[in-house]
Amino acid sequence: MFNVGISQAGKVNVMTSDKGGLTNEQIADLAVDKIVSISDEAPAHIRQQANQFREHLKNVMYHYLLLARSEERGTIIQALLSGGQKETAELIRRL
Amino acid sequence: MAIAQAMCTSFKTELLTGTHNFATNGNAFKLALYAEGGGGKSSTTATLGATTTAYTTTGEVANSGSYTAGGGALTKVAPTSSGTTAFTDFADLSFTTATITAMGALIYNDTNGDKAVAVLDFSSNKTSTSGTFTVQFPTADASNAIIRIA
Repeated sequence: MFNVGISQAGKVNVMTSDKGGLTNEQIADLAVDKIVSISDEAPAHIRQQANQFREHLKNVMYHYLLLARSEERGTIIQALLSGGQKETAELIRRL
Repeated sequence: MAIAQAMCTSFKTELLTGTHNFATNGNAFKLALYAEGGGGKSSTTATLGATTTAYTTTGEVANSGSYTAGGGALTKVAPTSSGTTAFTDFADLSFTTATITAMGALIYNDTNGDKAVAVLDFSSNKTSTSGTFTVQFPTADASNAIIRIA
């Protein structure tokens, strides 16, 4: 006889935003949650180290997300300016 | 509770009859969002749990932004195993420029009669207002993956 010990549906994480997309911090949180998983059953000192690593990773992610968004906006602004859309480019620059 | 986290019982039976194929070139799966109490279409309330057998529009959230009836298509990650546990995963799913209040979700097989796979309970109402509503799936491992069989 075959026994299936556990058949489970995992817990999802929901992230929402108002009047616009997710913030850099929210995206960094999503990314770090996907990369670092800390077991509740791990020894306290391991959990502490893992949490410190998690915070460090989040800060790095946040910085580069900020940079990525800023650089993409720069590219879009340049494309709009090249197309004569000066006012739209200015709107995006102010974001 | 009207929405209770569960792997649907019918899904377990259907696994044994080869109804669901999670391979990347297999069946298409979707995720629909549901409200509990206010927030759903026509003020209906979703009742979802282990006994749910198929996608239903009762209690599904209204169309908004990129969310339309039936929900969003899930991008599959090929099933694999670790130790004695087999599991599968999906890419995170986002609905943009959407005003949504949802308490849970249903994953279902869009290829085979909208048959239910799993009910997801968000524990509390999650709301986006003219914004992004993202469902992030757990880490794909033997302890956390969205669908696990040990």
